[in-house]
Amino acid sequence: MRYNEKELQALSRQPAELAAELGMRGPKKGSVVKRRLVKLVVNFLFYFRTDEAEPVGALLLEHCKVAQEEPSGFSISFVEDPERKYRFECHSEEQCQEWIGALRRASYEFMRRSLIFYRNEIQKVTGKDPLEQFGISEEARFQLSGLQPSSPSLGPGFPGRA
Amino acid sequence: METLRASGHTAILTEAMKLNERSVAHYALSDSPADHVGFLRTWGGPGTPPTPSGTGRRCWFVLKGNLLFSFESREGRAPLSLVVLEGCTVELAEAPVPEEFAFAIRFDAPGVRPHLLAADGPAAQEAWVKALSRASFGYMRLVVRELESQLRDARQSLALHRRSSWKAVTSRCKPQAPDRWSPGLENGHTLSRDCSPTGLVEEGGSRPAGRGLAEWELQGPANLLLGRGQSPVSPETSCFSTLHDWYGQEIMELRRAWLQRAQGSRPEREGQDRP
Repeated sequence: MRYNEKELQALSRQPAELAAELGMRGPKKGSVVKRRLVKLVVNFLFYFRTDEAEPVGALLLEHCKVAQEEPSGFSISFVEDPERKYRFECHSEEQCQEWIGALRRASYEFMRRSLIFYRNEIQKVTGKDPLEQFGISEEARFQLSGLQPSSPSLGPGFPGRA
Repeated sequence: METLRASGHTAILTEAMKLNERSVAHYALSDSPADHVGFLRTWGGPGTPPTPSGTGRRCWFVLKGNLLFSFESREGRAPLSLVVLEGCTVELAEAPVPEEFAFAIRFDAPGVRPHLLAADGPAAQEAWVKALSRASFGYMRLVVRELESQLRDARQSLALHRRSSWKAVTSRCKPQAPDRWSPGLENGHTLSRDCSPTGLVEEGGSRPAGRGLAEWELQGPANLLLGRGQSPVSPETSCFSTLHDWYGQEIMELRRAWLQRAQGSRPEREGQDRP
């Protein structure tokens, strides 16, 4: 899959939701803990060598599971391979909880669900669709089921169909 | 893993940035909703000249959130490319061939090459530009925060409205038990069993009308805001039946409007009414 690293590098320089130096272990067996500057920007987790300006790598945080790992660490794994874990060590339980909370809310999918929820609730209370004011009430991403076509130019909302 | 990368005329050996590509591809192919899909012509991809020339390569594009994927075809099992739609603007572009419905994704950061794409017609071009312009995480976050605050306001004003209406109604009846209703909507309490139709009121006040929406109630958005089962009516009042009729009517109004809207976008779900 081709992508322009520079797009991600530029993103990694944007203001972060959270940033800290953490211990990090890759998913491979026998990987050792390394100190990394870890930075959460939108739905990406970047990790840098502590003395470098460009990130070593990035993790897209969609369809991921964030779990606490004793004593004060957490892991990130992905739905297609749940045993493959990126592990992080925090300096305190508090820091750990802060990261877990932030990472769980970091996905675009989480925001989409939140938006649909609020839209639905507002409609129940006010009888009005709050997205109409934005002119985006017909967009597929904001529909209740999330899988329905909402405009003639749009497919059923997943690859492979028009 | 090291890659040989050309920078100007000098080749520099650098370590390629890592990305969890397998997970990214899995997300691209998953059934999470796509925000826009369609065929677009593209330049600069594999097998095409690096600068715009000719009609470009036709690929199937899928926009999910702030990620734009391309596939060789609609049935493609692996994404060809990924564009991360952050820190960019999308605008109509001069096509290499005139009137080719082209648009460009330009990045604010210096040195990041723009992407040139072309749709099949003006409607598709407009739809893509609109969709891509609103694809950023920041835009979504703004909308969510705005709705969050709107919901808070709406519930507060509804609570105040009900309180004053309730007081107006109770003043016509004999004074009863002290006002048990707390405007703190976190403390939901359901109606007692002898009130019918309990289901109707419960539904209007709390749960979304049961269309498989339980999943996000577990996953956080419900926790972000207010609890479930809000019901400002206390069963203790002797004027309860009056209140209930009034309350029930309002709920039916809201529910009707909501159902209309819901049925408008999901015609196959008619008849799934609750009593």
